[in-house]
Amino acid sequence: MFNDGFAKDLKITYSAMMWLLVAQLVVMLPLMFFLPIWILPVLLFSAGWRMRVMQGHQEQPKKVLKTIIAGIGIIGLFASGMPMVSLDMMASLLMLGFAYKALEVIEKRDAMVVILTGFLLIGLLFIYSQSILVALYGAFALTILTAALIAIQHDKGAAVSAKPILENLKLSSLMLLLCLPLMLLFFIFAPRFTPLWTLPFSGEGHAKTGISDSMTPGDIANLSQSDALAFTVKFMGEKPNQNQLYWRGLVMQHFDGKTWTQFSDSLSLEASRKKLRTREQFIRNRLVKKGYGREYEVIYEKTARPWLFALTPVVNVKGDAVYGTDYTLMARSNILEPKMLTLTSYPEALRDTTLDEKTRQRALQLPKGGNPQTRALAKRLLAKATSKQDYVNTVMNRFKQQEYYYTLRPALLGDTNTIDEFLINNKKGFCAHYAGSFVFMMRAVGIPARVVTGYQGGKWNKQGQFLSVHQYDAHAWTEVWFKDKGWLRFDPTAMVAPNRIEQSLEHAVGEAGGFLEDQIFSMEKYSWLSELKDKMDSAQYAWRRFVIGYDRDSQSALIKKFFGEQSLQKIAMIVGGFFIAIITLWSLLLRLGQNNQRESEEHQLYRKFCHRLEKHGVSKKLSQSPTVFSQYAASQLPSLANDIIAFTQYYSQLCYNPSEPKNKKENIKVLKRLFNNIKRK
Amino acid sequence: MSQPKASQNGWFNWMKDRFPESKQITLNIRRIFVIPTKVSLGLLVTLGVLFLMAINFQNSLIYALTFWLLALIVISIFFTYRNLAGVTIKAIQSHACFAGEKAVFEIEVRCPENQKKSAISLGWKDQDVAQVNLQNHHTVRIKLSHDTKKRGLFKPDKISIFTVYPVGLVVAWSYAMLDMESIIYPKPLLQDTAENQQSKSDDAEAGKEIARGSTDFSGIREYQAGDSPKHIHWGAYAKTGKAYTKTFVDYANQELWLDWDSLAITGIELKLSHLSAKILQYHQEQQVYGLKIPGKTIPPATGEAHKTMCLTALALYGQAS
Repeated sequence: MFNDGFAKDLKITYSAMMWLLVAQLVVMLPLMFFLPIWILPVLLFSAGWRMRVMQGHQEQPKKVLKTIIAGIGIIGLFASGMPMVSLDMMASLLMLGFAYKALEVIEKRDAMVVILTGFLLIGLLFIYSQSILVALYGAFALTILTAALIAIQHDKGAAVSAKPILENLKLSSLMLLLCLPLMLLFFIFAPRFTPLWTLPFSGEGHAKTGISDSMTPGDIANLSQSDALAFTVKFMGEKPNQNQLYWRGLVMQHFDGKTWTQFSDSLSLEASRKKLRTREQFIRNRLVKKGYGREYEVIYEKTARPWLFALTPVVNVKGDAVYGTDYTLMARSNILEPKMLTLTSYPEALRDTTLDEKTRQRALQLPKGGNPQTRALAKRLLAKATSKQDYVNTVMNRFKQQEYYYTLRPALLGDTNTIDEFLINNKKGFCAHYAGSFVFMMRAVGIPARVVTGYQGGKWNKQGQFLSVHQYDAHAWTEVWFKDKGWLRFDPTAMVAPNRIEQSLEHAVGEAGGFLEDQIFSMEKYSWLSELKDKMDSAQYAWRRFVIGYDRDSQSALIKKFFGEQSLQKIAMIVGGFFIAIITLWSLLLRLGQNNQRESEEHQLYRKFCHRLEKHGVSKKLSQSPTVFSQYAASQLPSLANDIIAFTQYYSQLCYNPSEPKNKKENIKVLKRLFNNIKRK
Repeated sequence: MSQPKASQNGWFNWMKDRFPESKQITLNIRRIFVIPTKVSLGLLVTLGVLFLMAINFQNSLIYALTFWLLALIVISIFFTYRNLAGVTIKAIQSHACFAGEKAVFEIEVRCPENQKKSAISLGWKDQDVAQVNLQNHHTVRIKLSHDTKKRGLFKPDKISIFTVYPVGLVVAWSYAMLDMESIIYPKPLLQDTAENQQSKSDDAEAGKEIARGSTDFSGIREYQAGDSPKHIHWGAYAKTGKAYTKTFVDYANQELWLDWDSLAITGIELKLSHLSAKILQYHQEQQVYGLKIPGKTIPPATGEAHKTMCLTALALYGQAS
C-alpha cells in the first residue's frame, strides 16, 4: 500500500467526530419507523459518552463495560420477539453495532467502518420503503455521510486549522451532484439480474396490508378506513366503464358459519408453482373467449401478500406472475417491492361452461345446521320462482325492495346464525355482509356460488391518464354458476347502494359518515386539495413506473426506443461515448486544465539543451550557474562553442531580464533556432 | 534479477524527465499519479453487498445508491488530483547537524491563485511527514527532519507529496527532487587516549590559571552546564535569581591548534569525531583555535562562523567538493 511507511496521525479531529455522530443520527432516524425504537437511545447514550470523553469529562469506556452494554443490547433484540432469521433481525443487529460504534470511534479506521456501515443502512432503508420522500431522505443522508467522510481526512496535527463545517457539506453536495450523470448512466445501462437466491427473510417484518385471505363481515370496513394506494392501472386502449371495473383478487369458497376462507390448496404457493404449466393450459381450455381483449399495465404496491388483482379472466400475462385456482392471479412470492405487470383480459369470456365435481362440491359447501331462518326463506323463494335465473333475480331484488341499509359501521353479529342476524333482523351491513348472505342463499337451494374479494372501481387521474385504486375501494361480490353460461358476476351491494358501484365509496356513504373518519388529515375529504393530490399522484405514478419499476424489461424497451435494435457492441460504444462526455464535462466544470500550465518554454528548451550536451559527454552540475556551465561546455566542445554561448546568453536574458511579451516571443524563436543548430551538429 | 541496462536507463531518464532536480517544482499532470487506497477497496466490498441486495430485492433505489457510490469513486480521482495539481514546492534552506541527529530542511509550499488545497502531506518514507492546508496564493513553510547516519554531504531522497483529500478513496501523489543538501558533521566523540598527547602544557596552564581565578577577569555570561561552581557570580545570583558565570581570558595569547597529525588515534572517522568534539569544547570555552587536517588548514580564530567552518571542513574531509 502506498501510505505504508509514512507516519500518519490516525486519530480523527473533534469536528470529524461531531460529523460522524450527526451522520449516524441522520442514518438511523428513519429506520426507527421500522425497527425497535430503543436502538435510538442506545445511539444517544453512546454518542453522549463519546462527547464527554472528547471534552475530557469522562474516561474511555473499559472493555468490560463495552461488552456488558453490547450483551444487553443483543439480549434485548432476542427478547423483542423478532424471528431469528429475518430481515428485521439482521437490520437491527447492524443498527445496534452501528450505534455502539459511536463509543469507540477515535481512529480513522473506526470512522471508515462507521461510514461504510452507514451506506449499507441507507440501502436497508430502501428495502423498507421506496417512496419519493424516502429516496430524497436517502440522498440527504448520503450527503451527510460523504461530508463526514471528508471531515475525517484531516489530520489532527495539520499545520493550518481544518476547514469550517459548511465547507465539508458544500464539497460533498458538489461531488454527489456531479456524480449524478454517471450514476444515471450506470443505472440505465448496467445489466439487471434476476434474484440469485430466495431470501430466507422475505416478507417477515413487513406489515401485511390490503385484502386478507379470509373474509369475516366487518373486515373490509376496516380497509375502507385506509386511503393507502393498492395499485395503479394504465389502459392501453379505452378505459372500461366504472361499473365494469371489478378487480378480482381472491375466491372465498369455504364458509364456517362466520368466516369465508379460501380452500387450502389455493393458498399454497409451492403447489401453484408445481402445477403452473398444467394450470395455465387448464384455464385456457375451460375458457370460451368472447368479446374483445383489454390490455393494461398494473403497478401493485407492496402488500407482503401474494395476491394480484385483475379484470377477470386474464388471458395473457407479461411479467412475473402465476395462475392460482379459479382464475386468480398470484405473484410467485409475497409482494415486497412495487410490482409491474402487463395483463390482457377478456371480461366477456365465459368461464367453466361445465363444472367438474370437485368444483361443484366446493361451490355448494355450507356448514351443517345454523341460520334456520335464511334456509327457510331460500326454500320459500325457490318454490315461488319459475327458474333458477328467476330465483337469483328475486334474491337480488329483495335487497332493493326491503329496508336494507349500506353502512361502514355495521352492528356486531355475534357468533352463531350470523346470516340470519343480518339478513332477517338487522338489515344493515357492508359489502361483505351482502355478498356472504347472497352466496348462502344460493347454496342453500343447491345453486353453485362463491364469494369474490378484490377492489371495485378506482379513481381516474385525468392528468396522468391512469387509474389509482386505493384500499378504500376494497369490495366483495359473488359469482354464481349457470349451465352453459359459466360463472356470472352478481353484486348484491349494487342493489342496496348503487352509488357504491357507479361512483365511489365516498359518494355512496355520503353524509352517513364512516368514510375515512378516522383519518383527520386525509386529503380525500377536501376538494380543494384534490387537484394537488392529483398532481402528487401523477408524480408518484411516474416515480413508480419509471424509477422503481425500472427492470430488465423496461431497460430493453428503453434502449430499443431510443437507440433502436442494437448489438451489445454498439450499446457498449454508446455507453463509452456517454462516459467520455461526462468525464469531459467534469474536467471543464472542475477547471482541471488551469493547473496544467506547463513549464515555461524557455526552461523546457534549456532542459533539452542540457540533455543534448550530456550526450556529448558534458553534464551540468546543479551548483553551476548557466553562464559558468556554458564556459565549461564551450571549452569541452569547441565545435559548438559559439552556439552554446549564444544560447546561454539568450536563455539568461529571458530568465533574469523579463522583457516585454513581444520581445519574449522573438527571443524564444532565436532560442529554438540556436537549439536546432546544436542538435544538427 | 538484473534488468537490461537499456530499460533501467529508460526508467531513469523517464523519472528524471518528469522530476528534474531543481530548487522549485510545480506539480502538474505529468507529475501526479493517482491510485486507489485501501478505503476504496473497503467501499467496493460494501458496494458488492449493496449490489446483491439490489438484485435480490429487485430494488431500484439500492441500484441507484450502489451506482452513485461507484460514481463517487470515479469522481474522487478528479477531485483528489485537483487538490494536488498546481502546488509548488520550493527548497528554502537546510540546517546542518551532527551525524545521528536529525537534519532539518525548510520547505515552502505554495498554492495557486483562487484555489484551495487541503490536507496535503509532504515527507520522506519512514521519516517526518507534515500535513498542510492552503488557499489562494498562500505559502506555508514547513520544517521536515530526516535521520542521518554518516558525516558528509547529505542529500535527502525525493520528497513524496500526497493527498487523499477529499474522500480518501484515492491517493494522488507526486515526487519532488529538490536541489537541497545538508552538511552532516562528524559525531562528536572524545578519545581519552588522544588527550595527553595532544594537549600541550599551555592548555593545562591556562586551565589552572582560570581555575585559580587570577586577575584576568573578562566579563560575565549566563551560566552554562559544565561551568565550575567556583566561577558562578553569586552576587548576581542573589540579586537576579539567575546564575551567571565569570569568564576569564588567557592573556598569554595562546593559539590552540587541533592538528590531525599529532593525534594518536587510528581510524579516520574516530579522528574526525574527536576533532569535532574538541571544536565544540573550545568553542564553548571561547578559546582561540585553529584546525589542521590533510589538505586544509584553518588559521586560529573564534566565534560561531569559525566553528561552522571547522566542522564543515571535518564533515567534507575526503569527499570531493
